[in-house]
Amino acid sequence: MPDERSVPDERAVPDASTVPDELLARARAAHTAAPPLGDPAYDRYCAALAGQLLAHWPQITAANATDVEEAGRAGMPPTLVDRIRLTDAHRDGMVALAERTRRELATVTDVEVPVSGAARAVHRVPRPLGLVMMVYEARPTVTVDGALLPVAVGNAVLLRGGKETAATNAALQRALHDALTDAGLPPGLVTVLDDPHRRLLRALLKRPDQVDVLIPRGSPALVDYCRTSAIPLIASGGGANHLYVHHSADLGLAARVTLDSKLPEPAGCTSVETVLVDRAVAAPYVEALAQELKEADATLTVRTEPGTTIPVSPGLRAEPLAPHDLGREFLGPVVALVAVDGVAEALEHVRAHGSGHTEGVLADDADVVEAFRRRVDAAMVVVNGSLRLHDGPTLGLGSEIAIATGRLHVRGPVTLASLVTYGYVTDAAGALRG
Amino acid sequence: MPPNLSLDRAAVATVVKKTVVAESRLSIAPESVSEDEPLVGDLLHVNSLGFVGMLVRIEDELDAALPDNLFVGRSFRTVGDLIDVVTTAEATR
Repeated sequence: MPDERSVPDERAVPDASTVPDELLARARAAHTAAPPLGDPAYDRYCAALAGQLLAHWPQITAANATDVEEAGRAGMPPTLVDRIRLTDAHRDGMVALAERTRRELATVTDVEVPVSGAARAVHRVPRPLGLVMMVYEARPTVTVDGALLPVAVGNAVLLRGGKETAATNAALQRALHDALTDAGLPPGLVTVLDDPHRRLLRALLKRPDQVDVLIPRGSPALVDYCRTSAIPLIASGGGANHLYVHHSADLGLAARVTLDSKLPEPAGCTSVETVLVDRAVAAPYVEALAQELKEADATLTVRTEPGTTIPVSPGLRAEPLAPHDLGREFLGPVVALVAVDGVAEALEHVRAHGSGHTEGVLADDADVVEAFRRRVDAAMVVVNGSLRLHDGPTLGLGSEIAIATGRLHVRGPVTLASLVTYGYVTDAAGALRG
Repeated sequence: MPPNLSLDRAAVATVVKKTVVAESRLSIAPESVSEDEPLVGDLLHVNSLGFVGMLVRIEDELDAALPDNLFVGRSFRTVGDLIDVVTTAEATR
């Protein structure tokens, strides 16, 4: 007798290929029917989204409670259950993001390109990327991120979240569709995929002809899997980030920067993992670190090479450095400490072990700063400051949907301006080439 | 119903090690990871949040489909535990 367990594998379903076709056709039709980028409908959408999230909140939280309950029943550990749970703080964050995005819409606009050729005037005009697919795990706030930023600049989106949040995402989709309808936009611009068997994900990743851009947000394994698709990808490769402390640096500042770059979000992608310190100032730098930890009543584990002197101090724990610690993300309040002989060795270490995400230098020597600025190839180089400054809103670059470390189209904060491509318009006023 | 697929333990071990190394954001040779290695320890950082992505990647590399609930409600301590669960799963192709 057929039961749920006997549902055949995805690749054995006879009509597996037709489902993505219908879904893609619907999303593309919505994209075609949508007004051009910059239309007042997108401003209305951001406002309506904030309102509909509030109006739907009782239903969203009720749906979320069933997801949380189901996760608990399925034996998922508390860390995962916490990631699924939506609170009023998440609601406020999502509403604030909608309001901020609305204010930032004006930044995505035509730019006149100075020319001196046959054309009288050339404008660089932002165009939507097209159909954007987001693939993410657990956290349901990403559903709103994905329905908000890309759609506000005229893209259609497919949102493939984890099946653990299926009920929450379905409730969110109702709020999102009501917001689109309020704004006069086609509801098909946002499609929340119901894909418990990963069948759609596999099929859609094979459709570079229809899906224009892929934005994975999740574990390294998920991002790596998405990389196997031929669809262009906007993704963060994770942050194996360094801070280089030159002997000219203010060591008190260096200690404060180290702690601010690690402790508030120890598993964040902009957190520092390895401190490279000039050998001559290694001991006073560690003293400064111990002092700051004591004042902050905080704890940090420092993994060091043999022979490094670590003062006995509350909050400062020493462990031996293992070879595999270089270039890793500790995902906790731990840093590796490596002594170097000057900026050249520091640059070489960053080249060998960095992931091109966020790299920092602490120095008063202008030549050292200049060398770091020019020679470190990362999405962000921070001079004399916290690595955690690498954040769109914090820097004033705008709201971000991810931090990209790819080579093309966008690096660093993926803001509204990065969720579009562009075309040119020339007002030729009758000019011929001849 | 498609026939069950018998997975080769050595092939599963190779794929699982590669996946846990990537998941832990390490740049070491996967074959250097021993089966006794804890999934959450000094070397590896594999938590349950990564299991969905790992499952898709393992399936893809093995060209096999694994049950959705494979990782749910089970506890794994070491790399070997994970290899055993995948090897003995009711895989289909």
